[in-house]
Amino acid sequence: MNAPLTLAHYMTVAGLLFLIGVFGALTRRNIIGILMSIELMFNAANINLAAFDRFLHPEGVTGQALALFVMTVAAAEIVVGLALLLAIYRGTDTVYAEDFNLLRG
Amino acid sequence: MLDQIVFYSLSVLVLLSALGVVLQRNAVHSSLFLGLSLAGVAGLFASLGADFLFGAQIMVYVSGIAVLVMFVVMLLGRASDLHLRQVNDRWMAALLVCAVASVGLLKIARLSSATVATVAARPGTHDIGRLFLGQWLVPFELISLVLLAALLGAVFFTRTENAS
Repeated sequence: MNAPLTLAHYMTVAGLLFLIGVFGALTRRNIIGILMSIELMFNAANINLAAFDRFLHPEGVTGQALALFVMTVAAAEIVVGLALLLAIYRGTDTVYAEDFNLLRG
Repeated sequence: MLDQIVFYSLSVLVLLSALGVVLQRNAVHSSLFLGLSLAGVAGLFASLGADFLFGAQIMVYVSGIAVLVMFVVMLLGRASDLHLRQVNDRWMAALLVCAVASVGLLKIARLSSATVATVAARPGTHDIGRLFLGQWLVPFELISLVLLAALLGAVFFTRTENAS
């Protein structure tokens, strides 16, 4: 507990958060739950970027700037994802991913 | 010592509320846990000395994305959803995938267990501004184009056909 914090601490937390996100994206039936799990994965990547910036490249801010780009793309992704979900819900009346088989022909 | 206490408590908060996001049956509770987890990640950014990321995380994620998700959950939710199973029947395989991946990820993380921070953290907002409007000007303008496209796409997909 008293040992100094290393890069491995932050990478471990980010890795566990990413795995929780992967588990959620693979197992949730509700498509909003899948979108939330994808957000968790984006956040794990952002923690790693900020930690690399702090521990490996402390004289620049490249990692933080890259994390800001990731954040912007994640915001765009969730907006378009939720809009698509609303449009699909209007046609199929369900939010469960296994019922989204409109393209089956 | 204070650093360690902050880091460990924030990590426990982030991971437990992320588990809440994934495992809660009620989607409204899930989205509330998402907000808590994202706020914990903002705290981790603050502990890393990334001050602008901390502010952006609070503004974009906690007060933007989490609230948006909550709106959509309340818009689309149905009372009968609370009695349905919220995980599919392949959860065992997904758990196996995560267990295998965790071995590799933790092994990679252990490689850097000797890397400690050498200099004190300093505010980076000024440098980020110089970087975005100098060396990274083209990606910065392109990302605003991406945001515009997302805005138009959201309007396009959600508009109703019987407007005429």
